[in-house]
Amino acid sequence: MTGVTIDHLVATTAFIAAILVFTGLFAQSMQAAILYEENRHVALKASDLLDTILLSPGYPYHWGEGNTTLSCFGLQEPGASGYTLSSFALMRLLSISGDPVEYPTGSGIWYSNVSWGFGGGYLLVPVSECVSYETASRLLGVNGSYGFQLSITPTLTISISEVTLNPLKLKVTVEGVGFPLSEANINYLLYWVYVQDDQRFFNVTSGNGKTDQVGAAYLDFSANPRVDGRTAYTIIVYAQLSGLYGVGYRTREIRTKAGNIIPFIESYEDGKILLAHKWGKNDPGEECQGALQFNASFFVLSDDFELTLIRSWRNLVNYGQGKPFYRIQIPTSSMGFLIVTYWTGNQYGMIIMPWGISILGFSVLFGGNPSGNVWVATDFRQVTVSQIAYQAKIACWSLRGYQVWKPGWWW
Amino acid sequence: MRTVEILIVILILAGAFIAASFFAVLPSPRQISSPNLRQLALTTLQVLDTDKALTETVFKDPSDRAWTDLQIALSACLPPNIVYNLTVYDVVTLSDGTVTYQPANSITNSESGVGTDSEAASYLVTSTNVTFTVAPQKISGTLYILNCSDANGWWITGYTAQSLAADLYNLLSPYFQTTVLVNSTYQLGLLLNGTALKGETLRNAVVINTFGEAVPIPAGYYATQGYYAPRDSYSLYYHILGQKTRNYNWTWVSIVGYPFYYVSNTGFLSGSRNNYGIYGMKDVGSAGLNAFLRGLDGIAYDARWWDGSQWKNAWWQDQWGNWIYDRGWLTEEIGSVEFTSEARDLSNYYGIYPAPSQMASRALPVTGSKSIVNNYHLTRRATMFELKTVSDIQYCAAATFSHNGGGALTAIGLTRIPDIRVTALALLMYYRPTIYKSEFTLRTGERPTQRLVVLQLSQQGGS
Repeated sequence: MTGVTIDHLVATTAFIAAILVFTGLFAQSMQAAILYEENRHVALKASDLLDTILLSPGYPYHWGEGNTTLSCFGLQEPGASGYTLSSFALMRLLSISGDPVEYPTGSGIWYSNVSWGFGGGYLLVPVSECVSYETASRLLGVNGSYGFQLSITPTLTISISEVTLNPLKLKVTVEGVGFPLSEANINYLLYWVYVQDDQRFFNVTSGNGKTDQVGAAYLDFSANPRVDGRTAYTIIVYAQLSGLYGVGYRTREIRTKAGNIIPFIESYEDGKILLAHKWGKNDPGEECQGALQFNASFFVLSDDFELTLIRSWRNLVNYGQGKPFYRIQIPTSSMGFLIVTYWTGNQYGMIIMPWGISILGFSVLFGGNPSGNVWVATDFRQVTVSQIAYQAKIACWSLRGYQVWKPGWWW
Repeated sequence: MRTVEILIVILILAGAFIAASFFAVLPSPRQISSPNLRQLALTTLQVLDTDKALTETVFKDPSDRAWTDLQIALSACLPPNIVYNLTVYDVVTLSDGTVTYQPANSITNSESGVGTDSEAASYLVTSTNVTFTVAPQKISGTLYILNCSDANGWWITGYTAQSLAADLYNLLSPYFQTTVLVNSTYQLGLLLNGTALKGETLRNAVVINTFGEAVPIPAGYYATQGYYAPRDSYSLYYHILGQKTRNYNWTWVSIVGYPFYYVSNTGFLSGSRNNYGIYGMKDVGSAGLNAFLRGLDGIAYDARWWDGSQWKNAWWQDQWGNWIYDRGWLTEEIGSVEFTSEARDLSNYYGIYPAPSQMASRALPVTGSKSIVNNYHLTRRATMFELKTVSDIQYCAAATFSHNGGGALTAIGLTRIPDIRVTALALLMYYRPTIYKSEFTLRTGERPTQRLVVLQLSQQGGS
């Protein structure tokens, strides 16, 4: 009798232990399978979402060219087919690549920071006229279910560095995502200022060249014309090889003893730009207390790479309350760029602001923050923005479901 | 003894687990989330052909410098961990009409090939010495597109009727003699009264309703004469619309969902809303389609309904509180539907490519007691999707139903959101305008040539 009882006890214990162990083992396999399935779904969603964004112009179709309210979100160039994006729609995306900038300080008017002085290039769009991530997410029907981050970056990176300043000699390197672009044709435009008898003259020089085996080319301005880079210059370089187009720029942005000038887009719809004295933003130090004279010029580029001056302005901005900024209005219908030359005494500098993302090869980073999510799926496409080759990459993650969020230390 | 049995049970469980683990192989992480290489390949080819550079290169001699440039450009625009193989095929049409593909040249960045785990995209290019144009035959008759600014749409989520009207205009106006946008309900009223808006021919026209399940209703005569007061319903308006469609021999096009389900006018209906809170709109329910079909068939409005064996008066209502008129609810949710072979052919012929597989939630019955074909003397033409049978009744997701006495209804019973290309294709399938293809324009002695470019991509590294 005792033996039978012991037999029962041992058997029951062993059975319960075996059930627990195997339940755990099967549950582990099922859990892994469910996670794989969910992750696969997120990956498919990433691909779908990217195509939805890139293959629809949104509505109203030309929403990128004004401050109209969106009822449908998409970045495709209106009237174009395939993966061709609108240079203007990209400008209206609320950038997360840099912290928003408030100007004037304390005014509560914030600007989306697409670029703050990278290579002397600025693009600051009023937040109130930008399309936010929340709006895009709602219009795409993924708010509360999926998060995403979209980056639109040029396929070709064109870096320009100074070899010598007087005479000016520049090194241009053209690199793709994978390898340097050797034997690429490059065309350049140099906008520069020279001083003669205390008069300032502005000149444009253009030319072409070819990159070597490592994707580098040298541009020498020691003669015809001889350019003194110590005054100020802006160079825009277009590179092309076998249908692949890229653009890069460099401008000699220096901080004079009176600071420099920052362009803020006051009204996107009307093309009103504030050329603001640096003192009014971030640098209320001694070194920025001085007046800056400036010459601002808005150019457009023709299809055959000809520079056309649309309008120019010449005035002065000062620190403090007097003339902290000067308001100009540029035409908004076509892509172009604004070059501002500023000086105090013998110190010269330039900054540049594009009107249309692709004209200078600016990048855009838009969306939410993927950090903290357990699984982030990515996908990308080759796209063109006004013939310039870009890559559109998406990172997508789930906001609902099982194990989508990495627990913090307090969990 | 029990212990031995349990040990056997444990062995069985262990065996089951091992067997399950053996068969339930989880895919590798790369398969879970790899870039969509097929789309990447296609977009890479499109980018390289931005200014026809790719087209020019693939027709050059393999020893030409352009091939090296193409390889450099390919390597530059693809991530370093992706290997590629670009192969160009010469498309040759033999004397017996057979088309063959002969390899012309190939470039790759991998000595050992791209492996089996790869994706490819193809791109057909035509030599630059070819010009090719098409001119469609004009359909005799006017195309009216409802673009009324004083009406709201339903089941066109994400679009507005005006944006859909613009798209339809671009797609279909080349095929019609005259295209007229009807910009207000007042203009719609003029049309219904038989007044041309721009001197166009009113008879034998096509009227596309871009407002989805709602139809704009003009104020005045049609709002009063089209109102059936005992049931607070504008179904009488749809009866008049059916009569007009027959009298003018119109083809009325419903682009999505349940046809004639609401009426809309942001003026005199500004205080009304449908069940989903959209103002300027009023529910008509299933009575709308029934009334239209009766009008089209020349049957009196007669607000009674048929229960399958006898006519009953019109005070009955269904479980949702909707008034039952005539044959009540007609459509059925039939799920996924596929293009007919005719639709596939004509999709290629007209170069309009909506997805061949769609979801249909408002398909119309073409057999059984509620068959609109049998009950209203209609003939089903230009069927876009294969019929589907539910409870022994066949349902049609999209087709044009023409009446023997004149007039037709093109009903696209797909689920929202509408793909306007489906509507365009449905109409072209019904009218079948011929596409006149122009001759190739070549320099003397040259033949047109085509080449197929196939870009195969694969990821390297990782498990």
